[in-house]
Amino acid sequence: MRHRTESTSASGYGWAPALLATLLALAVMGGAQASYADTSPLQSTQEFVNQALKIMADKQTPVADRKRQLRALIEPRFDFTEMARQALGRHWRSLKPDQRQDFADVFKGFMESAYLSRIGDYSGQRVEFVKQSSLGAGYAQVNSNIVQVGKPPIPVNYLLEQTDGNWRVYDVTVDNISIIQNYQNQFNRVINENGFEKLLADLKAKQQQLGASSAG
Amino acid sequence: MKAKRILAAIATGLMIWGVLPALAEDQGPPHPPGESAQVYSDPLAPFNEKMFWFNLKLDHYFLHPVAEGYAFVAPTPVREAVGRFFNNVNFIPRFANNLFQLRVADAGGELARFGINTTVGVAGLFDPADHWFGLKESRNDMGLTLGHYGISQGPYLVLPFLGPSTIRDTVGYAADEAMWPLPYFVPWYISIPTDAGKGVVEAVNFRSLHLDLFEQVDRYAVDLYGAVQDGYLQRRANQLQKLSQ
Repeated sequence: MRHRTESTSASGYGWAPALLATLLALAVMGGAQASYADTSPLQSTQEFVNQALKIMADKQTPVADRKRQLRALIEPRFDFTEMARQALGRHWRSLKPDQRQDFADVFKGFMESAYLSRIGDYSGQRVEFVKQSSLGAGYAQVNSNIVQVGKPPIPVNYLLEQTDGNWRVYDVTVDNISIIQNYQNQFNRVINENGFEKLLADLKAKQQQLGASSAG
Repeated sequence: MKAKRILAAIATGLMIWGVLPALAEDQGPPHPPGESAQVYSDPLAPFNEKMFWFNLKLDHYFLHPVAEGYAFVAPTPVREAVGRFFNNVNFIPRFANNLFQLRVADAGGELARFGINTTVGVAGLFDPADHWFGLKESRNDMGLTLGHYGISQGPYLVLPFLGPSTIRDTVGYAADEAMWPLPYFVPWYISIPTDAGKGVVEAVNFRSLHLDLFEQVDRYAVDLYGAVQDGYLQRRANQLQKLSQ
């Protein structure tokens, strides 16, 4: 499961000690801030996904506990406010600050319920990480595949932004369909037809429905 | 022959969600965060919403129950073989459109796949072209050819029986259907019922292999029409982008 960018053992080569010394020197010079900033988007995503898979595979622990663990794992790694802002598109601008906060909270709750409700469906699928690419300063994309037996893999890509040295996800594409863009189209239609309050109500209702259907 | 086309449309068209088998490719649509103005104009929305509702009902009362019964009787490997059979039979548009786009290697691959799978693969029930020779299918259609040559997609359009489309993809679909050879060789009173039957079987078979397809989409959606619309348009944009690489 180790990614190829990780360093391989260099023992047995004459230049290794010199290289090691240089690296050490750089690390010391880099100081404390290096600990976060030097984590590549791929490493941080891979670490997060592996932890999530471990929780999902742990069928001994009750579902409710595992959901709590996953939620705690997800929260610092996803920028739900940015997701909510993009999902509303141009409508975000016309909202008052407290409406924005409301929406961001409801959207976050909805997303967590929707995706955590699938926890019971996990049956040991493996995730392999393909590559990372830069989307400009502070932005990156990490490509991964969900490996399925006897079927083509499902490409899942994470779009990340770097804030305060941490990489946080602001969109996920599944089979190259952007989740946030998909919600943007849905939300735009609901707001245009029935207004912002209806969208809030719909999201809450859907969240309840998902929570009820996955209680087991 | 026109009527035949419409009925043949019922065939493939019953794949209501337009969710084609995954076009696995690692190139996503990267976009920076911030407010993107990705909103579709949907001038045909009143018609589209009616058709969308009609297709939902058709699926609910006919396609899904039939597919479920069929899935209960026929084991998955059998249904997968049937799917491969239809896929093999429908190779002409894939071959032709790869050629139209000057993707000669892909066109040759499609021709070779058809030759191998029709003979060694027992009328297309199996896929030795892939398993033994590593020849993968190269999806293509006339909607993509038109897009490749710069024709814009026009308004979103939901077709009865066929599901999500655009003006361009509908024209492309009609052209692809016209490549189906049967009506040119047998009288209409044979080709129409045959093709209609083919279409229905093909649709039922596809749905039987994707029984929870609709539930999967509905689970995450607050506006199902909007979710399907965007899913279709994003997928087509990805397919086109992949072809221009």
